[in-house]
Amino acid sequence: MRTAVALNGLLAVPALFALLTGLLSRRERAAVAAAVTGSLVTLAWSVWTVSSYDGGLTPGSTVDVDWVASMGIGWRLGVDGISAPLVLMTTLIFACCLVALVRHDPPGGGRVGLAVLLLVIESGVLGSFLALDMVLFFVFFEVALIPMWFVIHTWGDEHDEPGRHRAAVRFLVFTVTGSALMLVGFLVARTRTGTFDIVGTAASYDASGPLALTASLLVALGLAVKTPLWPLHIWLPDAHSKAPTVGSVVLAAVLLKLGTYGFVRFWMPLTSPEWLLVPVVAALAVVGIVYAALACLAQTDLKRLIAYSSVGHMGFVVLGAATFTVDGVQAAVYASVAHGLITGLLFFVAGAIKDRYGTTDLARLRVLYGRVPRLAGVFAFAAMASLGLPGLAGFWGEMLAIRSAVDPAAALPGTTYAWLAFVAALGIILTSAYFLAVIRGMLQGGPVRPVHGVDATVELVAPAVADDVSAVRTPDLHALEWVAWSPLLALTLVLGVAPGLLLTPVGDAVAAFFGGL
Amino acid sequence: MIWVVLLVVLVPFTSAGLSLLVGHGGEVAERGIAVGAGALGLALAGVVAFPHLGDATPLAHVFAATTAAGPPIELAFYVDPLSAVLLLLAHTVAFLVQVYSLGYMHGDPRYPSYAALVSLFTGAMTLVVVADDLWVLLVGWELMGACSYFLISHHWELPEARAGAVKAFLMTRTADLGLLFAILVLGLRFDSYRISTVMAAIADGGFGRDDLWLPAVLLTAAVVGKSAQFPLHTWLPDAMPGPTPISALIHAATMVAAGVFLVARTYPLFLSAPAALNLLALVAAVTMLLAAFYALFTSDLKRVLAWSTVSQLAYMFGALAVGAWSAGVLHLLAHGAFKALLFLAAGAVVHAVGSTSMTAMGGLRDKLPDTFLTMSIGFGALAGVVPLVGFFTKDAVIGATWDAALHGRLVWPWLAWLLFASAVVTAVLTVAYSLRAWLMVFLGSPAGADLAEGEVPEIAEAPPSMKVPLYLLALPTALGGLVVVYPEAVLGSGEYHLLHPELGLVMTVLVALTAAVVVRAWRRSGGRDPWRPRVLPQPQVDRVYDIGLVRPVMRLARLARAGDRDVIDAYADGAAAGAWGLGRVLRLAQNGNVQGYLMVVVVGACALAVVAGVVA
Repeated sequence: MRTAVALNGLLAVPALFALLTGLLSRRERAAVAAAVTGSLVTLAWSVWTVSSYDGGLTPGSTVDVDWVASMGIGWRLGVDGISAPLVLMTTLIFACCLVALVRHDPPGGGRVGLAVLLLVIESGVLGSFLALDMVLFFVFFEVALIPMWFVIHTWGDEHDEPGRHRAAVRFLVFTVTGSALMLVGFLVARTRTGTFDIVGTAASYDASGPLALTASLLVALGLAVKTPLWPLHIWLPDAHSKAPTVGSVVLAAVLLKLGTYGFVRFWMPLTSPEWLLVPVVAALAVVGIVYAALACLAQTDLKRLIAYSSVGHMGFVVLGAATFTVDGVQAAVYASVAHGLITGLLFFVAGAIKDRYGTTDLARLRVLYGRVPRLAGVFAFAAMASLGLPGLAGFWGEMLAIRSAVDPAAALPGTTYAWLAFVAALGIILTSAYFLAVIRGMLQGGPVRPVHGVDATVELVAPAVADDVSAVRTPDLHALEWVAWSPLLALTLVLGVAPGLLLTPVGDAVAAFFGGL
Repeated sequence: MIWVVLLVVLVPFTSAGLSLLVGHGGEVAERGIAVGAGALGLALAGVVAFPHLGDATPLAHVFAATTAAGPPIELAFYVDPLSAVLLLLAHTVAFLVQVYSLGYMHGDPRYPSYAALVSLFTGAMTLVVVADDLWVLLVGWELMGACSYFLISHHWELPEARAGAVKAFLMTRTADLGLLFAILVLGLRFDSYRISTVMAAIADGGFGRDDLWLPAVLLTAAVVGKSAQFPLHTWLPDAMPGPTPISALIHAATMVAAGVFLVARTYPLFLSAPAALNLLALVAAVTMLLAAFYALFTSDLKRVLAWSTVSQLAYMFGALAVGAWSAGVLHLLAHGAFKALLFLAAGAVVHAVGSTSMTAMGGLRDKLPDTFLTMSIGFGALAGVVPLVGFFTKDAVIGATWDAALHGRLVWPWLAWLLFASAVVTAVLTVAYSLRAWLMVFLGSPAGADLAEGEVPEIAEAPPSMKVPLYLLALPTALGGLVVVYPEAVLGSGEYHLLHPELGLVMTVLVALTAAVVVRAWRRSGGRDPWRPRVLPQPQVDRVYDIGLVRPVMRLARLARAGDRDVIDAYADGAAAGAWGLGRVLRLAQNGNVQGYLMVVVVGACALAVVAGVVA
């Protein structure tokens, strides 16, 4: 009973508050207050749920109700050490986003609508992380996607309307196609198991034969779009850079994790490490790491750069999962959570820069250390975390992914993986290079490169007020930004200093879920 | 005692956090935190270190561990004489740097973040020194790289500071991959990340060269980067735009010293891996000579000192490569004392003159008497003048290479001979560049003597906060030789062969002869530069990196960006041309007709499901 209340409640709370916010939409202040309250209640609820789970997916601690009995689809929910960190990260990120909306009116207005959509997305994402049924996972996956289309389409980059519409459509077409493929994969897998229950499947699935391979391949394809895995990433830079600030934060910090979580929870049980598919996935992940880092080196827009950096970070996550070892999955979960915190923070900072200067064009932003020192300091901190500085959260996930690749499951080709580990490590160096380049150019200043032959020493203010540069004071971080960001800053530090906090429960859960890994 | 070890690690980090959080509150707060925490750290370091000098049993403790598949990652500390002396060195220099910075950085608006980074730097070095777990060591190791990055670019308005910082970070971080992979390989081989466990297993035997050469060579790559040895030596001189006290910190007690420490800490591994020792010997022989030549010709005071650091570090690696562990470690300590002294004194000179160019100096003996006295002791120790500390430790190093050349077995004989010859020539060059710098800064005619009366800048001695650290460092620089005479008191009992009287005599004669030649050249030049400053042809390593690495990477980067753009455009064009399937979905979604879109999704999914069913 308690389990059912906790798990169903976690899905219901954001949905109910979304409804409440919608009903209050005439009175904007009250509606926003309701949305913020909703996100905070959800956060508290998730903490309660996670702290009361007894450490496994045993029948007593999960919800298992028949839904479409004839097809074997069940309303199966549960939380364990693999999903718990992601659930907590999700509720935290959404709380930060909604708090950030309190003061920040999105371009184009309609803040209430945005808040409602965010709560709906939150409900869908939490459902995906809690789902222990393949079809249920697919359904919640879709619930999270469609509101996101509205977010990008309606509240995206106000200077580029066709661009944001195109980005929204690309996002939708790619991810919906991907999830359709995933669903087909699940259907094929069901012909072998007779059920969509993933816990039972993980315990007893016989991953052999062409049919099993087809199922695994389809699921991998679908998740590869969502994660994204190179070369299916091309929807991502547009979507992430054209979305409004909170949209980018949610997309990068939370929605990408649906893909990586899907790899761990729904792809690995359906897959045998003996197939060539597994090293291919690992290799694509590593190609993505290097490719994304190279693309970042050549970016001229801060939001696009952060977007591409996500492709690289997700590469580490998939590499960890594709080793089929306990520490590989630990690394995958750790890197997922760390990326959520750090990239969320980076997108918040990029949004704050855009609010102040009306642009995220790296060719025009200069000397932020001198203009907004605290904001610049937060960016430098987040950049250091993102490039994997030891002692901050970004380090452990990626180092452990490399470690697991040096010592993959016995059925996998060891030498190939050792080389993949080495190339992935080179990606870390390239990551350092592009973040240092941004710090050097955007924060510290430096020669402004001519753009299209024109000297681009541009005024660093919004175009509307550009006439008198000296009269414009750009405010540094204000209180609400500190409130919204400080949990991310603090957790980045805490997870960097005490990796055991997360590694230990994840390790136990992985051993329990996969049994014989 | 165990908790004191934890405290000595935590105090610098806490102080860094406090400096950042409340340091902007006021002058008393920002200065009090920095200096107070420095003093507390030094006191705690003393409490930890002194009981563990000499023959005391090492202290080992595990505070926490992760449970995972494979060997656990542990917060484990280990204090033996090596950790103890380096702990003392790091905290002494860090404390003196904090005191010195009160005067040197007076009025700097960014003082709080500066003080915080110095504390962080100290904490990171402490972590490296007391770590018993390789991952903990890696955390401190890379954290130092980041701290040095931020401190070198403290004056980020200067383009050369920005460039130097990036170069330092990228070069050392690339080399750090060696440490990362060494850790991974050791973890696989020994099923443990505990340094003490791994070293004990190696010392017990049972592991052959085939098991150990790879991690040892990887570690060598890491220390070559961290300690700025050839061919990764170029970042250290380019790091000179940072504030001078930072150079003292980086060159004497942290960062570059960490490289030598790592080899000393994992010495059983190196002794079992001749490949790594040979590599280390070769790198050391080349680096010490090369760097000494650069020091000889550069006319920038700080760069002279920077190149001398590179050269002296190579001495330490040379000693370690031929099996003279104690000589290498003692030279590290001696160098820590006199190089900190030299940089802080150079800071006082730069503070007074307002330039780092030696041509802008001259005749400062009377104007800066305290700086003159202490820096003379520092230069004397660097040059190896009897009876300063540098004489004893350098003699121990050269003696060790001589022994190795005659009857050593660790490295190839020709390499030992090369190392010995290189060490002797370098010693001569060291005397030459030290003396030249000393003459050009303090003696001769003052720069600007030909200027009119009112244009001569006012030159005054530094405030007490800067002078006191100089005298405090001059003390060990003058008397530290005693440790070489009685090494047991510090490093514990064992067989030492540190004193080589005949060789010392020969070297002293060489020093005197070199000095005479330099002074004569200086007289003939009329009290200016003893020889024409010239730009030595840089070994083209930077160019090689640029052409071989940086440019191809940037070309690939542009290719990647353009590639993505073209792929997207091609797909968009295809849709526009009326490609039906995707294009129709596009148009529906663009119309905002969500129902239509949902239909397409559902139908598509069903169609695929049917196909799947047929296949099944």
